[in-house]
Amino acid sequence: MYGKKVKLRFLFLSLILIVLILTTYLVLKSLEDNVVYFISPSDIKELGEINYNKKYRVGGMVKKNSVSMSTDQVNFVITDFKNEIKVKFSGVIPNLFAEDKGVVAEGFLQDRNFLNALKILAKHDENYIPPEVKEALEEK
Amino acid sequence: MLNLIGNYSLILALITSFIILILTFKNFKSKSILNLSIFATISVQFFLICVSFITLLLAFINSDFSNLAVYNNSHTAKPLFYKISGTWGNHEGSLLLWLFVLSLFIVIFFFKSKKLLDSFRILTIFFQQLIILGFLLFIIFTSNPFQLIIPTPIEGLGLNPILQDPALAIHPPILYLGYVGSSIIFSSSLAALVCNYTNKDWANDLKKWTLISWIFLTIGILLGSIWAYYELGWGGFWFWDPVENVSLMPWFCLSALLHCTSVLEKRSNLQSWTVILALSTFILSMSGTFLVRSGILNSVHTFANDPERGIFVLIFLTVLIFIALIIYFKFNNIEKFSKSYLLSKETAIVINNWFMMYFLAVVLIGTVYPIFLEAITTEKISVGPPYFNQLIIPFLIPFLLIMSIGPKLDWIKNKKLEIKIIKIVLFFISILISYLIAKNFNTQVLYSTLLISSAIYLFFISIIDLKNKSLKISQKISHLSFSILIISIILNSLFSEEVSVNLKKGEEKKLSNYLLKFENISRSQIDNFTSLKAEIHVIQSDQKLKFFPELRLYKVPETITSEADIKTNLFSDNLVVVNYLKNTDYLNIRYQKKPFMLFIWLSAFMLAVGGFLGLRKNFK
Amino acid sequence: MKVKFSFIFILLIIIFTLIIFLKSLFENKNYIPKKINIIENISIKEFHSGNDLKLKQLFGNEKFIIINIWSSWCIPCRQEHKHIKNISEIANIKMIGLNYKDKKDNAQKFLDELGNPYDTILIDSNGTKSIFLGAYGVPETFIIGRDLSILKKYIGPINLENEIEIKKFIK
Repeated sequence: MYGKKVKLRFLFLSLILIVLILTTYLVLKSLEDNVVYFISPSDIKELGEINYNKKYRVGGMVKKNSVSMSTDQVNFVITDFKNEIKVKFSGVIPNLFAEDKGVVAEGFLQDRNFLNALKILAKHDENYIPPEVKEALEEK
Repeated sequence: MLNLIGNYSLILALITSFIILILTFKNFKSKSILNLSIFATISVQFFLICVSFITLLLAFINSDFSNLAVYNNSHTAKPLFYKISGTWGNHEGSLLLWLFVLSLFIVIFFFKSKKLLDSFRILTIFFQQLIILGFLLFIIFTSNPFQLIIPTPIEGLGLNPILQDPALAIHPPILYLGYVGSSIIFSSSLAALVCNYTNKDWANDLKKWTLISWIFLTIGILLGSIWAYYELGWGGFWFWDPVENVSLMPWFCLSALLHCTSVLEKRSNLQSWTVILALSTFILSMSGTFLVRSGILNSVHTFANDPERGIFVLIFLTVLIFIALIIYFKFNNIEKFSKSYLLSKETAIVINNWFMMYFLAVVLIGTVYPIFLEAITTEKISVGPPYFNQLIIPFLIPFLLIMSIGPKLDWIKNKKLEIKIIKIVLFFISILISYLIAKNFNTQVLYSTLLISSAIYLFFISIIDLKNKSLKISQKISHLSFSILIISIILNSLFSEEVSVNLKKGEEKKLSNYLLKFENISRSQIDNFTSLKAEIHVIQSDQKLKFFPELRLYKVPETITSEADIKTNLFSDNLVVVNYLKNTDYLNIRYQKKPFMLFIWLSAFMLAVGGFLGLRKNFK
Repeated sequence: MKVKFSFIFILLIIIFTLIIFLKSLFENKNYIPKKINIIENISIKEFHSGNDLKLKQLFGNEKFIIINIWSSWCIPCRQEHKHIKNISEIANIKMIGLNYKDKKDNAQKFLDELGNPYDTILIDSNGTKSIFLGAYGVPETFIIGRDLSILKKYIGPINLENEIEIKKFIK
């Protein structure tokens, strides 16, 4: 039918195609698994359905007088001045974490009012406010 | 006065830039040779840019606050070293540094390319000058470092303590040297395309520039992670932060280019591919800088910036990309493959290139995907480190194995596939060692075993190859260091331990194997900050370690920084970082054990040294 | 044909990317918030008596006080002086002068020559007190509310425009 060369070429091309499709699939799958969504406390209230196995990043301000500490965890409330959410966190607290300052907590939602945070992020920049909080503040 | 000198030399440099463009264009059209007038104008331009750079440097050293850039970024209380590094620590100054390096490289290119075709040299200078012109316009119109403020303030604003770190002071200029080196690669490839000069001589010249940028980029990335490790005190050295990714992407490109130029040099193959790599390296560097500088990428390192500048860079970038595209498609008539066989050095290098491109694609997608998604759906997301780890680490296994076989294959066709017993024995030894290491971790034994054994195998093979006379010393050292780097990184991530706890003074708490004790805290006033020094004891079985981590409270600007207390041994780092919370007595204490940190730094440095040896050999 | 196709394909991808970049350039503007800054209730030496005064003690019934940082050696302070005077003439306001890194004699001369618009003058002889206000130099002017929050801040000399703005703000 076809010459040996054509056959070989066809084999080679299909191999490349398969590898390409496979890697694309891998990349997309991995991307889907590891994407973390930014939401505000108000967004949580409005979410249709909460995926309890997915990580979320909740951004807002640390509510005044809401921080309480014990030896192995910190509890505080994140607010966007409309809604708020309780956060439990055990681990390393960044330097810029303080009451009345912007914060982003990453973790799993337990229910609509409670976040089990695995990570707390803060910026170098003392003036930093998470963008979504800024939007919420401006809407006020 | 000095400000004016700096400003006027910039404007004069702009004029010389036009003159050079006209001269080179005319010369190229009339097919005449590269004459002295071009060299003279290039030297004059270099001198002018030098003058303006030095004036800015002096303004920073003298704390001349009538200069806006100095006012915003310096302070009389800063140590001299940081005053100097402040020169390029800000937007305006860093651009001036880019410009300075760009014009320095054009001069070096002039001297080092004398053996090459004249029309090619003229065109390279022409394209390089286009880039310089773009930068000059950008600096003069949107970010002039010589803006005055009247009246002169008596004190400056810039005293950000986080940025006062030696690694950070020299990190940006070195990174820029890498980026700017790739600009010569860019212009030279365009020129080579137009002159149909994509041959061995060109490859040999291109290789030097590739090596230069690769060395600087490697060291720049290394310094960046050293800074993150020591100053941020998070105990990590790589966070897959967008700013880090942006410097890693051109690095992948350059590494691929480095291997690919030797194919072109020895076998006149892969011309098209070499050109594509060369062009994309610079475009990646530029877009990366654009994304970071314009604040589009959300990163811990970004600082505020205005969109006007972003637009300018975007336009500039567009122009460059279009020029590159048009020239590539108009002049690309090279495709001619000389025959080679499956089992050959060429194939090994092509495979290396494909892996590099895959890594590049992964990082690129992970970095820009959030930008695209937000622009299209307004959804805000971030891509976590697991994404990168999942997609890159498994592919290291075949990559490392091929890396251990590849260098010893012959060009064109490998005559006989020697299988020495010793290599097979080594292969099994590495698997055995890895299994013993991985066994301690119940999860994913198979996966870790494979990963570690491929790295250890490469290590063994590289050690044996050290005696091999037919290989280049630069390649031997770089491959050996790369294997050590990968082994150290893997072992580091497997063996790292971390405990964290909130304690009041005098309290103690046992966590896993460690007993953490908050002994004491002392307060003292030093220069411009208040220092809180804690004494923390970490007790593991009968071993007791004392740590003195520090918190520094600065008033201007109001900032707290943590100084980790790091105890470095040959095989592991032990560190304690503390943070404190306002209005509570608690101190947040974190103890970390990080094995093989010293090896990571050293092997990354040796990687660059390997490149340097190659450069020296090429220039002989 | 093949070349043309790939050219157009790459071109489209690049244009798409650039458009996205352009869009995000404007969308994701920098987030510099209006920070609500509250000053510590520090005590500062009074110019004539040398007594320490707490910032809160400066308030009478007024809603705001204005703190103006000045110095006799500072030339722009002379320029802004008449505007400071004009502002201080408004009834319901207290104008506080914070004398920055200055000699007492020189400061007194300055006031004798140009007039004294200040209700109270405080001394910051080594520049440490103005740091609490977040000041970087002279002259700077702050409008401060009763809770010691900085409501407005002017770096550099006050001009006519600022004067009108401040007057509007106070009323």
